[in-house]
Amino acid sequence: MKKGKNKGRLQAALYMVCLMLLASGCGKKDEGTKEEKGYTYIAEYAQMDLKCDHVAQSAVVNDILYMAGSSWNEENGISTNYLYKYDMADGILELLPLDISENSYINGMAAMEDGNLAIIVNNSTYDLDENGEPVNWQDSMEMWKISGEDGAMLDSIPMDGILGDENTYINSMCIDGQGNYYLYNGDSTIFVLNSQLEKLCEIKSDNWINQMVSSKEGDVYVTSYGETGMELRKIDTAAKSLGEKVEGISDGYGDKQFFTGLSKSFLIGKSGKMSYFDLSTETEEELFDWLDVDVNSDYLSMAGELSDGRIFAVINDYSEENSKTDLVFAKKVKASEVAEKEEITYGAMWVDYNLKKNIISFNKTNDKYRIVVKEYGTDDYQTGLTQFNADLTTGKCPDIIDLSSVNYSQYANMGILEDLYPYMEKSGLKKEDYLENVLGAFEVDGKLCGITPQFYVTTAMAKASIVGNVDGWTLSEMLDFVEKQNPDNVFAYGNRSQIFYYCIYNNIDEFIDWETGKCNFDGEDFIRTLEFAAKFPEEPDYDDEEGLSAKLRSDKILLMQGSVSSVQEYQMMNGLFGEPIAYVGFPNNERKGNLIQTTGGFMGISAKSKNKEGAWEFVKSILSEEYQDSLIQQSGGWGFPVKKSSLEKQFDLDMTQEFYEDENGNQIEQTKTTWGYDDFQMEIYAATKEEVEAVRELLMSAQKLSGNVNEQMMNIITEETEAFFSGQKSAADTAGVIQNRIQIYVNENR
Amino acid sequence: MFFPVKEKLKSGKSGSNRRTRRGKRISVLYLLPSVIGVLLFFVLPFLIVVYYSVVDNPINHEFVFLDNFIMVSHNAAFQQAAKNTMMFSATAVPLAVVLSLLLAMMLESKIPFKSQFRTFFLSPMMVPIASVVLIWQVLFHYNGMMNEVLGWFGVDKIDWLNSSYAQIVIVILFLWKNLGYNMILFMAALSSIPKDILEVAVLESASPYQIFWHIKLRYMSSTILFVTIMSLINSFKVFREIYLLKGDYPYDTMYMLQHFMNNTFGKLDYQKMSAAAIMMAIVMVIIIGILFLTENYFGKDVEG
Repeated sequence: MKKGKNKGRLQAALYMVCLMLLASGCGKKDEGTKEEKGYTYIAEYAQMDLKCDHVAQSAVVNDILYMAGSSWNEENGISTNYLYKYDMADGILELLPLDISENSYINGMAAMEDGNLAIIVNNSTYDLDENGEPVNWQDSMEMWKISGEDGAMLDSIPMDGILGDENTYINSMCIDGQGNYYLYNGDSTIFVLNSQLEKLCEIKSDNWINQMVSSKEGDVYVTSYGETGMELRKIDTAAKSLGEKVEGISDGYGDKQFFTGLSKSFLIGKSGKMSYFDLSTETEEELFDWLDVDVNSDYLSMAGELSDGRIFAVINDYSEENSKTDLVFAKKVKASEVAEKEEITYGAMWVDYNLKKNIISFNKTNDKYRIVVKEYGTDDYQTGLTQFNADLTTGKCPDIIDLSSVNYSQYANMGILEDLYPYMEKSGLKKEDYLENVLGAFEVDGKLCGITPQFYVTTAMAKASIVGNVDGWTLSEMLDFVEKQNPDNVFAYGNRSQIFYYCIYNNIDEFIDWETGKCNFDGEDFIRTLEFAAKFPEEPDYDDEEGLSAKLRSDKILLMQGSVSSVQEYQMMNGLFGEPIAYVGFPNNERKGNLIQTTGGFMGISAKSKNKEGAWEFVKSILSEEYQDSLIQQSGGWGFPVKKSSLEKQFDLDMTQEFYEDENGNQIEQTKTTWGYDDFQMEIYAATKEEVEAVRELLMSAQKLSGNVNEQMMNIITEETEAFFSGQKSAADTAGVIQNRIQIYVNENR
Repeated sequence: MFFPVKEKLKSGKSGSNRRTRRGKRISVLYLLPSVIGVLLFFVLPFLIVVYYSVVDNPINHEFVFLDNFIMVSHNAAFQQAAKNTMMFSATAVPLAVVLSLLLAMMLESKIPFKSQFRTFFLSPMMVPIASVVLIWQVLFHYNGMMNEVLGWFGVDKIDWLNSSYAQIVIVILFLWKNLGYNMILFMAALSSIPKDILEVAVLESASPYQIFWHIKLRYMSSTILFVTIMSLINSFKVFREIYLLKGDYPYDTMYMLQHFMNNTFGKLDYQKMSAAAIMMAIVMVIIIGILFLTENYFGKDVEG
């Protein structure tokens, strides 16, 4: 009896211990997280005044960074090469002598163990034909060994004889721990030479090699795309082949750059984040997100680790008209050392390229708030959306919601977005200073639930001479017009589904009465549209060699779907058609077929945000005069600013003529830019007042938001019309099934 | 040894009380994981569903009391889904019970190829649902095998999955998938009926009909209840097959309650989904309650 009782106690005690262990385990994990959170990274920029436009090659040894680049002189048409030495510990920049001819380029650079540099120099030779175009182009490779100390030439060896073929091209170079050279030809072959530059072997890869990189351990690896994403393989010189795929690298086909590590085998730059990769444990360890340290890593060209633990990165920003190179150091510091700011979460599927720049600039300049980006998008959109929805419903809703890739009307109708009008009023931003039609397109029940800094118009175009001077049409008007003209096709490379999609894309609500819940997809109009689309080819004819412009001009095709994102694009469209155009857009009952497409970020403030003021501070910044003016581009951007005054400034710039002086001293108007579409290309000069007026009219005519088409309904229609377009079912039967299925959708959503 | 009787009783009573209390404490401790599990995975989700059914949406959390129930009950899609689900269950469940009982009876009698038949009826259980749906799509496609066969007899093509015939297809699919399992349960029940009672009945000149109706059916009442409940539950699961066949929005005769809930969940309309789920649960409880009462009534004399 006593034994039994003890056994019971023992079991109970064991059970309690288990529970306690479980509880203590949870606690430990928490503590660990807290400790990690105690540190953060900050960015420091090196002061460098480089003469080159961008850094093409770089190499690092003992905290000394060598950078080779060139600069192009537009006036004399000469390119000059530069080689810089930057002591990253002391911050001293030195220009090394580089005696390299004008038609030579540096194709590869690597640091040797003795601190000197090996450089692959490509000497190009060519002849010029009668039009001044280069012909008989030949590349001849040389390896230069130069002193890391002062840039003095130590040796120069032609590679032609060594590699076997005179014209073997070398794209990049690495050096391993034994001093062997690995030369990659830019395709799938790697030549391995010993330290005496004798060829050891030639290794061919089955896949195209993305990158060649040395590890901290002194081996050389290559990356290529495999079945599940980017794969890393060691170059095995003994077996003269590539080794097995290294495990532990996260899957995915996104951009992944490998750099030689110092404390770990590699540094990996991936989707804006920096990680360590350790070959011995085959584990990846995330360090930081460049966005969190206010660095735009879109142009990351090289990275590495210094002996003091700092991570450095060479950023080549060529997005602006004047490209620039920055050297950034990311330093790990205690979180308490960094000035505390209120965090505002920006939740997005994917962050727009321009928006990213805007966030970095906001974070750098704002003392009170800091935007923290939460990106939901992965390779699978649906997974990201599910996570986003889960966050919305569990109270982890981001303060600012990016609406570019989600169903705007669904979220706006749920009341989860703040009305921005009161905020605008409070901040002194007048509604009338912005394009009312654009703001109107974002309105839901009179509330401004979202805003964008820029927009463009998606539309369909036709010759005004045959369609008339109209800026919209109904479905039946469109069908009548095309049937009367009887063209070969409606669009270039148009097929049945595409034509049908165009007819109903912006017009689906015409077949639904949301008040009564009645659908009319089995009516005459819908059946007529189906039969109309079926007259056109099932598959587009891509073999047709006649150009788009010729087809449009000869009325073989009537319409062109496209967008107008700048005055220059409008000018190009006129040139494409060869005569005035009518922007008829997508057919719909109200004849409002031109649609507004947001760009540069489309955002709203969460009604559940705990820091709406902070969120507005950022949203306000994209509407500010300063930011809106920054969107103005010399030769047109990828959209128009929403602020009227900025738009006018853009128009003024578009109309400003640019001149050059000819040999006789005459001022000749020069082209602003060159625009092209399909086989058509034209030089664009300053726009006329009439052209700008026409663009203004087009922008004002757009009243509805693009991309608000219901995906579910479109899926049903696409699914059911497939059988009709392949001739299996009649139009009436198809329409009947669509009516039945969409009716359920409508009923469900009323 | 001498003990005062009163003291002995007192100490005995308090000892037993202590043991009882300790026993209770230990049993509570042992029960705790299960209770926590039940609370966490059953009670809490149920309460969350109840909560969502009385708020305006999962983000605003504004209390609206019964508005969602009223809105959902007036929703045409919900009504259609409820009607379809009811129609389907009312057709498929009795058919699944009666046909499988008949099959079990048939396999009980002396017929050739018994084991082959049994294997044949059980085989659908082994086929993964995705391939079942694929086969069904090939069979009932507009240009599928079924229309091909009907064409030999001069019958016009039928769009099986996009017409009022769709529910027939689903009922056939349901029966094909479930008959075998039900049949095995009935066969087990039939074999457990006491042989002596059946022999006595034969000696007393009872007809096969009387034996079936008054003995076999009575003894199998609990199995019939079990099979009915299982079939009823499975009938709600037919959504999976329909979803794989036609996606979120099938032809209206195939649109089930679970479509309504799945679609509203996808659109973050948790309030609609929760209200519909609660209404469905109430109906289920009532139906199962009635089934229990019926079984109690018919089976009480054989269960002892």
